[in-house]
Amino acid sequence: MKILGISAHYHDSAAALVADGIPVCAVQEERLSRRKNDAGFPLRAIEWCLASAGIDPGDLDAVVFYERPMLKFDRILTSTLRAFPRSWRSFPQAMKNTLGEKVWVRGIISGQLGIAPQKILFTDHHASHAAAAFLTAPTRRAAILTADGVGEWATLTVGDGERRADGTTHITLRREVRFPHSLGLLYSTFTAWLGFKVNEDEYKVMGLAAYGAPTMLEEVRRLIRPLPDGAFALATEFFEFQTTADRSYSAKFIDVFGPPRHPYEAIDLDTAEGRHFADCAASVQRVLEDTLVGIAATLRRDTGLDDLCFGGGVALNGVANARLLSDAGFERVFVPPAPGDAGCAIGAALYADRIYLGNPDRDVPDHPFWGPVVDGAHLARTAHEDGQHVEAFPDQVLVDRVADDLAAGRIVGWMDGACEFGPRALGHRSLLAAPHDAAIRDRLNRDIKRREEFRPFAPVVPAESADRFFDLPSGAARLGRYMSGVFPVRPEWRSRLAAVTHVDGTARVQVLERQMAPRLHQLLEAYGRRAGVPVLLNTSFNVAGEPIVTQAVEGYLTFRRCGIDVLVAGPTVVTKRAGSASLKESREWSSSSAAASTVA
Amino acid sequence: MMSVNRAAPLDRLMRPLHRWVWADADRRLRKLVTFAEVETDGGRDILRAAEVTPDPLLRRLYLEHAIDELRHGDMFRERGAALVRARRTMRPVLLDGNPLPGGHGLDDLAIEGEPDHRLLAFLHVAEKSAAGRFAVYRELVADDQPTQEIFEKILRDEVFHMNYTYTQLTRVSPEAYRRHVWHARAKRLWHRYLRAAAAIAGVFGNTLLRVIYFVALPPFVWLAWRAERREPAGFIPIERTRGERSPRSQY
Repeated sequence: MKILGISAHYHDSAAALVADGIPVCAVQEERLSRRKNDAGFPLRAIEWCLASAGIDPGDLDAVVFYERPMLKFDRILTSTLRAFPRSWRSFPQAMKNTLGEKVWVRGIISGQLGIAPQKILFTDHHASHAAAAFLTAPTRRAAILTADGVGEWATLTVGDGERRADGTTHITLRREVRFPHSLGLLYSTFTAWLGFKVNEDEYKVMGLAAYGAPTMLEEVRRLIRPLPDGAFALATEFFEFQTTADRSYSAKFIDVFGPPRHPYEAIDLDTAEGRHFADCAASVQRVLEDTLVGIAATLRRDTGLDDLCFGGGVALNGVANARLLSDAGFERVFVPPAPGDAGCAIGAALYADRIYLGNPDRDVPDHPFWGPVVDGAHLARTAHEDGQHVEAFPDQVLVDRVADDLAAGRIVGWMDGACEFGPRALGHRSLLAAPHDAAIRDRLNRDIKRREEFRPFAPVVPAESADRFFDLPSGAARLGRYMSGVFPVRPEWRSRLAAVTHVDGTARVQVLERQMAPRLHQLLEAYGRRAGVPVLLNTSFNVAGEPIVTQAVEGYLTFRRCGIDVLVAGPTVVTKRAGSASLKESREWSSSSAAASTVA
Repeated sequence: MMSVNRAAPLDRLMRPLHRWVWADADRRLRKLVTFAEVETDGGRDILRAAEVTPDPLLRRLYLEHAIDELRHGDMFRERGAALVRARRTMRPVLLDGNPLPGGHGLDDLAIEGEPDHRLLAFLHVAEKSAAGRFAVYRELVADDQPTQEIFEKILRDEVFHMNYTYTQLTRVSPEAYRRHVWHARAKRLWHRYLRAAAAIAGVFGNTLLRVIYFVALPPFVWLAWRAERREPAGFIPIERTRGERSPRSQY
């Protein structure tokens, strides 16, 4: 049975194909369209999924959309009505947005794929998150917590899931918190106020929080009131997201926290204003953690289960995930590699397979590599045409050679096999560098990633060595599998891991098991033999504002235009040739002969 | 060499309007911010062209062009940031983009699936037009040396962009390059017409929807308020029946 899952229209659209109960491929649209957080209907992703499985749309047994569009429309319309007459400005845009495309999902899918409307199914948004978290985790029974900005009406749900011995699967979401009361939107409001992009830059708030102290806790707690049943309510007078799409914080919010940061102005942590921004970030981060821990602890008590599956965009907050693990009473916390809306494509397909169609439970492969495979020969051809220095090596020689480069302080673009599904580079589309030198971190920030100085880089370490360098509580390795938790670097290693240790002594570590990415694991060991520390800096292979690279040519052009020294794809290694002449200097382009022939 | 010192007749005609825009510090900042986004988006589109072209020479040229555009975006952004720092301005209008519903970077040009000759013709026409307009802007910001220098530097790059696109167009399509350039011009005009038409339609649509908002919605507003008052706070139990809802239901 072949089921296609689709998430689309809000942010980070994606498609995933499940065949006979197991995901066979999944990719975010942005990785193919090359437009970051592409929210359009994911036609490229769908076509790629079908092509890589070798099937036509007609072979699909079902296509599942990750939420119920009319229920979402109901929420948008109702919110607009409730905000009358303040919503008069946003009403036309909201209606045009929604009625223009988003409510006609059945017709769009049917028209684009040419399949019968009866084959098109819908799940609840948070059921998709729950399925993505629970059905991809290696656990039989678990409590389930989902939290994001907003789905249809729900912003947070709690429940449990069970994969029974008879092959049936049960996911029961028991309670929910509804819009406008939303942890995700609280955090996003601060993201906007801090001058970052909503739905994209929330992790910058988390990074900034480490530079501040939670001195604004009381003020943030005026915005979110705990309720006796363990839930919370936002004080809506501080927010405007429920009335307009233009701004998420109100004038009252500004009265409490001060004027927002202009996005074009850098945060200077040496100024009182910069420290105030950091303190506010630290305060909202703390409130988010405390609220989540409270809800999860109640869930632990209610269910008596040892495992927690956590999904939704809020699960991208690694600091909060680590707090959940340490303080909520669960032994293990599972966060999928794509906990946000993109991951709902897999979640919706699995939900339909197990719950709607009642197919028997199957173990889902425990890795994030569901995307297009890189072609080393393609890289070799492209680089050769460009006059670059290209070599090909057998695996062990290549690994030794790259380990030498890393030990010599070079930055390596590393492309290996299928690309990751989700926002993290977990070793198949990564930029790797030595972790000991803060100068390398600064070079990465300045010449390649071009991002704010306050943002940390993450380390990757073999699972068997992780405890030596990082202070990992029980269950942390699981969170570290997909870089979903932030944990302390052991004090004695902080100076030797300076490039990956955040200002508060922590790191968002990836704990790598050999079978998940064997070549990277081999590289870590080889680097460890040279440097004494089998840890590498691992950051996503992209430039700020662009999606992570997918194909060899995308990696190659990124390599060509920024300070990456070595590029690897499959057996191919490209080393940057110094001083290659710019074509701009060529006479041909500045000659009058070319210009004279201009068409008047 | 193609001249970038002479503005197109239309830009010369619109000089008073351009002067009005650049004379005001807020409008100037808004322009710079818009340019930063447009240049960056355009750079990414050209980068995509470099990724998909099968022609190695064009790949290198597109890459250089994309790097230029991305750098121009940075230059505008940095200048905008400097003006913000100088003025501490915080008007929301500064971050508004182009008021006309337009495309991502290169005017909604679909990079994938477009043959190189079409893209080259489009780029040539677009660069020529931008160079003419930037030449006007360069004169109008004479009182603002750093901004003027930005236009100066960009205009030097535009020479390369105009020349290579034209030379390559004659290489990849020696028989029909003139036709492609005229076609690109016509298409650009058509897109401008579509954008203007969409903007006018948008105004009509917004007006109509606002009339509906104030005339037809008030009775439902009362119902929505009543429902909101009755809504319990905190956790709401999810009815067991929700799980039994039809998978085909969009509600």
